[in-house]
Amino acid sequence: MDKYIQFSLRHPLSSIAVFITIVPIYIIWHRRAYNEKPFRFLFIYLTIKLLIDLVMLLFVINSLNNLLFYNIHLPIRYALLSGMLYHYFDNIKYKRLLIILCIAFVSFAFWEIMSVNPNLTDTYNHSLVRYSSTIESVLMIFWMLAFYYEAIQSLRISNLLTFPFFWICGGLLLFYSTYVFVAPLLHYVAKRENQLDLGILYDAPYLFEILSMIFIGLGINYYSPRQYDRS
Amino acid sequence: MIDPDQIRWAILIAMLAMLMMAVFVITFVILYQKRQLAQEKNLREMEKEYQLRLLETALNSEESERKRIAQDLHDDIGTMLSLTKLSLNQLTKIINKDEPQTEYTANKVQSLLEETILHVRRITRELVPTTLKQFGLPTAIDEFVQKLDANHSVSIHFNCIFENIPRQSQKVELTLYRIMQELVNNALKHSNGDEIVVDLHMEMGKIELQVTDNGKGFDAKAMKESKKAGLGLHSIDSRLSVVNGTVSYLTPGTKGCRIRVQVPVELDKESKAEPLHPFRKSA
Repeated sequence: MDKYIQFSLRHPLSSIAVFITIVPIYIIWHRRAYNEKPFRFLFIYLTIKLLIDLVMLLFVINSLNNLLFYNIHLPIRYALLSGMLYHYFDNIKYKRLLIILCIAFVSFAFWEIMSVNPNLTDTYNHSLVRYSSTIESVLMIFWMLAFYYEAIQSLRISNLLTFPFFWICGGLLLFYSTYVFVAPLLHYVAKRENQLDLGILYDAPYLFEILSMIFIGLGINYYSPRQYDRS
Repeated sequence: MIDPDQIRWAILIAMLAMLMMAVFVITFVILYQKRQLAQEKNLREMEKEYQLRLLETALNSEESERKRIAQDLHDDIGTMLSLTKLSLNQLTKIINKDEPQTEYTANKVQSLLEETILHVRRITRELVPTTLKQFGLPTAIDEFVQKLDANHSVSIHFNCIFENIPRQSQKVELTLYRIMQELVNNALKHSNGDEIVVDLHMEMGKIELQVTDNGKGFDAKAMKESKKAGLGLHSIDSRLSVVNGTVSYLTPGTKGCRIRVQVPVELDKESKAEPLHPFRKSA
């Protein structure tokens, strides 16, 4: 516990980023939003994220290499968020593209994990992937922009500010927009023999992760079965 | 070797630029969508207004056509029938009255002619309710009800305190009169009842017309959905949309039907003092 408190005091943003995930999870559960397929995928993603983050936190407190979990987290996150968007979009072209990109990205990410870390059992020297996180950010930014494009094209939503997906996608867009430039460097930063210090920039993704979780929570708070009925 | 500070600054600037882009996208989407929705709303309102005007024009055309036909009937057919009647009267005087067959035929023709004249007058009056324009809605309904009551086995009553109903604009009066005609005719044709009550009164800034019968009643919703039978009810809806009126179909008790029509009061600014009218009842 002492170790945890000391770590939290040294890295408050990364600690908050872990535990704030409980907020949207609770709201989804409380509002029974998991009955809708897109929110069910979001719920599974948030739950897995929370579990992986907690394990990573435990590892880092005990000075163990936790990058394997982060690497595995990337394809899972992309696949689940793609699943969420797959059930949101009505456009068949978007759905097909989502499936194709999801399969391609997940395959690439697993290949890269193996490529960067040929010996997976060597957790001590495990490294972060080079390109997957950047590719994921670019793809997610593309999908968030596709959501907004669809929203203004179809005009199905009478008030965007009370539409859950507006906030969810807003939060994800803000997070990935800041993450996309930090991601390429993380492979070089997260090393035992760290040669590149990002300084305050290292914490920026945590800050926007917290912000995105707040946005997601706010969005789900607007959820109601009747409002979500877009038919 | 690149200075790490330069890398940090480059990333910071890129990150801020990307963040600004994200914020810009979100703001743009909100504003654009609001503008699009406002435009669409305006367009829908314009379309609705256009449809109303179109409907109003169609109804006005229908009234003009009725007026023209009534005028033709009165001026041409009516005059010719009157002249024919005069000629026939003269002819009856000069024909050989010793032959019973001839006299019988002459009387029959005369009777048919008089009946035709009466029919033409009735049709003319129904086409253009002159009483409505001259004496107002209560008097016109009263006249209509009295004539029907005299000609049908069904008992028809009209409840109204004439003084409480001020003259309305021509559009409102004609709309209510036509709707009353439609509802009473429907009740006569389809209800199988033996009593119809027409009620006209003011209710909280609205003029309310009620037509109640003790017949078999009907399902207005199903009737409107039916392509064949719902024309009259659709016509009522169309007429009411022009004057912002509403209609509700009720079933009082176990049988019969009550149709309530409400139209916002629209006083006739050009109305003059009403002359005395032979059909007018004292309140």
